[in-house]
Amino acid sequence: MAANSVNPSGSPDVQPDGHTRLNRHLWKWLPWALLGFFWWGLFGFIAKVGSADVDARDMQVLFTLGTLPLVVFILVRRKGMRNNSKGRVIGLVIGLVAGLGNAAYFVAMGRGQASLVGPVTSLFPLVTVLLATLVLKERFNRVQAAGVVLAIISAVLLAT
Amino acid sequence: MTWITASLIVIVLWGVVGLLQKMGSNESSSASLLNWTCAGYVLLLPVLLIHSHLFDLSLRSILLGLLAGLTNGLGAWALYAALEKGAAASVAVPLTALNPLVTLVLALLFLGERLTPTQTAGVVLALAAAVMLSYETVPPQPNTTPLSALVP
Repeated sequence: MAANSVNPSGSPDVQPDGHTRLNRHLWKWLPWALLGFFWWGLFGFIAKVGSADVDARDMQVLFTLGTLPLVVFILVRRKGMRNNSKGRVIGLVIGLVAGLGNAAYFVAMGRGQASLVGPVTSLFPLVTVLLATLVLKERFNRVQAAGVVLAIISAVLLAT
Repeated sequence: MTWITASLIVIVLWGVVGLLQKMGSNESSSASLLNWTCAGYVLLLPVLLIHSHLFDLSLRSILLGLLAGLTNGLGAWALYAALEKGAAASVAVPLTALNPLVTLVLALLFLGERLTPTQTAGVVLALAAAVMLSYETVPPQPNTTPLSALVP
């Protein structure tokens, strides 16, 4: 048995071609994925409405306070808590960088249309994919390569 | 600063976050990484609170800010739950990457925003690009954090 087919978290079997079976337990996970889709989309809308009156820095302060109930829930639940010192440092740095990114997002939302800022900022995996090839020596797949091309065309269309 | 400049800064910073998540996923579980990320948010507070007008804000504004944090966290939570319950990251992550579609529809419906034909084409391509860029074919190890799980 290949090492990557062992999955204690209940994830679907990994097929020989590296893909996972789509339909397995669809009804179990699809509602959660759709919820994630919905919550994050709503986040963008709330960011837009909030940033109309609130300074981007204050929005990020309130944003931080708004995430705390979830932190408390995770700490109380005490499930799947696993890390090491490197993981903790990476988590802290993620918070610092993401926090500044969120503040910039609130600035963008305050000054531009949400219908443009939302889709444009969702292009951030472009930077991740490019950095991963440089830093982690990962190779991006054909779908991602096509995504890079579409992202560039989209940026040209939206900037003109 | 225009919205385009600010959006470019977002793309770079959130893009770096995506890389850090890839690096952190071998060291931490998703739940733990989420908590330490929030600890990082808290570390940033002293910088943000300089020149703060927090106490001048209306209750409505404060609630909107709190809701922004809550909905963002719930989004990450829901994606983790989907992955825990058997979703393939190569399907669930690109699906949730389409979330600006919700923002867009709400903005068109409730804020009266309108797009020119060129902007519409750009937005459609951006959404398609976001989905394609977040398509990871390498199956992640158990309990790892998928790309773009901490930022929408």
